[in-house]
Amino acid sequence: MSENYWERVIGNAKQNLYLKDLKEAALSSFKDESDNYKQKLVYNLLETVRNNDQKEFFYILIKAINKPKGNFKELWKKLQNNYDIMPEETFVNFAYSIILGIMATY
Amino acid sequence: MKSIQGEVSQYNENMQNQLAFTGNWFIDAGILGFVNLMEEVYGWDLNEIVVKPIDTEKFYYAYFIYYIKKTSFDWINRQDLKNVKEDKKLKFDVTKKNLFTKIEKILKSNSKNKNVKEQIMEINNSIKEAIKDSFEEYKDCLKKSFSNNKETILGKIDKIGIIINEPFFQNLNFIHNEKNKKGKEADVLNAFGRMVYNYEIKKKLTKNALDKTISKYLFSEEEFTNITYCKIQTLNELNKLVDRPSIIFLLSFPLAFNRVFDKYVLFYTNNLESCYYINKNIKIGVEKAKDKSSNAIFKITWHSIIDYITEQRSIFSLENMYLIEHKNIKQQNLIDVEYIGIPKLQASIILDDTIRENLNNSIQFRSNNFKNRFCWLLEEFIKGKPLYPIILNQINLALNDEKKPSYYSSLYSLIIEANILYFRSENEKSNNNLFSENYFNNYKGLVQGIKEDVRNTSYYASLIRGISNDKDKKARIARDLISALKAKDKNLFLNILLKNLNESKELASNDSFNRWLMEKIVENDVCFEIYGLILVMNLVRG
Repeated sequence: MSENYWERVIGNAKQNLYLKDLKEAALSSFKDESDNYKQKLVYNLLETVRNNDQKEFFYILIKAINKPKGNFKELWKKLQNNYDIMPEETFVNFAYSIILGIMATY
Repeated sequence: MKSIQGEVSQYNENMQNQLAFTGNWFIDAGILGFVNLMEEVYGWDLNEIVVKPIDTEKFYYAYFIYYIKKTSFDWINRQDLKNVKEDKKLKFDVTKKNLFTKIEKILKSNSKNKNVKEQIMEINNSIKEAIKDSFEEYKDCLKKSFSNNKETILGKIDKIGIIINEPFFQNLNFIHNEKNKKGKEADVLNAFGRMVYNYEIKKKLTKNALDKTISKYLFSEEEFTNITYCKIQTLNELNKLVDRPSIIFLLSFPLAFNRVFDKYVLFYTNNLESCYYINKNIKIGVEKAKDKSSNAIFKITWHSIIDYITEQRSIFSLENMYLIEHKNIKQQNLIDVEYIGIPKLQASIILDDTIRENLNNSIQFRSNNFKNRFCWLLEEFIKGKPLYPIILNQINLALNDEKKPSYYSSLYSLIIEANILYFRSENEKSNNNLFSENYFNNYKGLVQGIKEDVRNTSYYASLIRGISNDKDKKARIARDLISALKAKDKNLFLNILLKNLNESKELASNDSFNRWLMEKIVENDVCFEIYGLILVMNLVRG
């Protein structure tokens, strides 16, 4: 288990990603959505992760959080800082942390 | 004052003269074998044997008496009748029992006024007569169990000289089938005499060489003729090292081993007393469990060792213990020889009672068609082999309805392995020194961690059983998950798991379960498959 999961160096600055934080951000973002909607969303996201289709995963996710009235600010911030083309192993952990976060809100 | 000094120096001298281990397992095993022999034949206890000077003549006598008794008992035990009614078989069993009593009597009634050789020959002849007399009435229905099933015990007794059989020394002159024939008893005894008194082991090359002729664990002088570079060691040189007639220990070597199921096993630690008591406990335990399964016998063996060591609170002994085992001797070669040392990490973990109890189990990991389908977890652990593949196979068998999994043994095995892997990966990351903090507190933190993880994981992972009420559906999910584990595909594993979990809203949103999944599977880049298998195991339980 690694506490600091994803570290990027941009210029002189280091950016860290903690998977638990990512999951928490997803959890607080989706808590007000309906269960049926979230189940369908999770299903679609799972399909994209299975195929390691990062582009499609982020497309579906961003489309889902593109709601100015929701509580998505925290998740926006996390994605803004960490969105990148990732190695498959990192992407898998990144994606499932978000999915588990959404599932925790059922 | 002087007298006290005298007593002290006398005491020190006595201590120095005591029979003790040398630190070389090979010689030490012989010393233990010698102690066992003296105890068996003369009834002396350990304290007596270590202080007594070694008397070669007493050894000579004891050696033959021990082997004549052992061999004749073994031979009689394996006798059976063919094509007879049940009542005759019962009568035959009584005859065998009476014969044992007769042999015991013969062994006690030796003529003290004769010399050692004459005494041995007298006992040997009397036992042969006793066997002939007892089995004469069964001569037509005795099963042929000698010389490749071509001869009965009566035929064998009629041809052999001294009743002695020790596969370990088959290529030594004195017990070779060609030499040990009827009428040649005196020659056999003389050849043995030349060995113990003159160190004449063989006639070719170096006659007193320490090589394969005297022990299967050594190389043969004939095969290894690189004498210019590597002069072969002789028994005289070995004597200087052990300060005693080393041939006696070399000849006693096989007596140190206990037969445990289908193996000859010796537990060696560098202290004669500990080694003696542990091996004795094993012998007693194995005798008690004669009719039980191999599994029960293995458990008893390990109980004997660990119980003694935990009693002594001696982690040092455990760390310095070696398990030496061999299966059989075929064509003068040892089969399946293994030397197993117990590393400090493993020693610290198995000293914990709960962990040890759970690992001390033999589990089936191959289907019923295989002969070697059981695996003893504790042994594998001590050998440092991974337990995960064994448990994976076991769960696979359970899915095919071949065997119920041993839940707690499997759980402990997996969690121990996971914690060791974490521990190693953390150490690698922090570039710790060889002697980390854990090294000095005997990995106590690790043991605590394992127990806590077992407590938490056994609860959280069991929640997965709520994924469905349908047993068949759970088995289907388990099958899918196990194929992902076999492929070591974390993505596929999580995908299958979460897709099924997505249909069970209550479980998916269970905070404890969700957090556990996050920590043990998603965030875990060291050993996610171990915790994955624990989930599968719970699904298999239904």
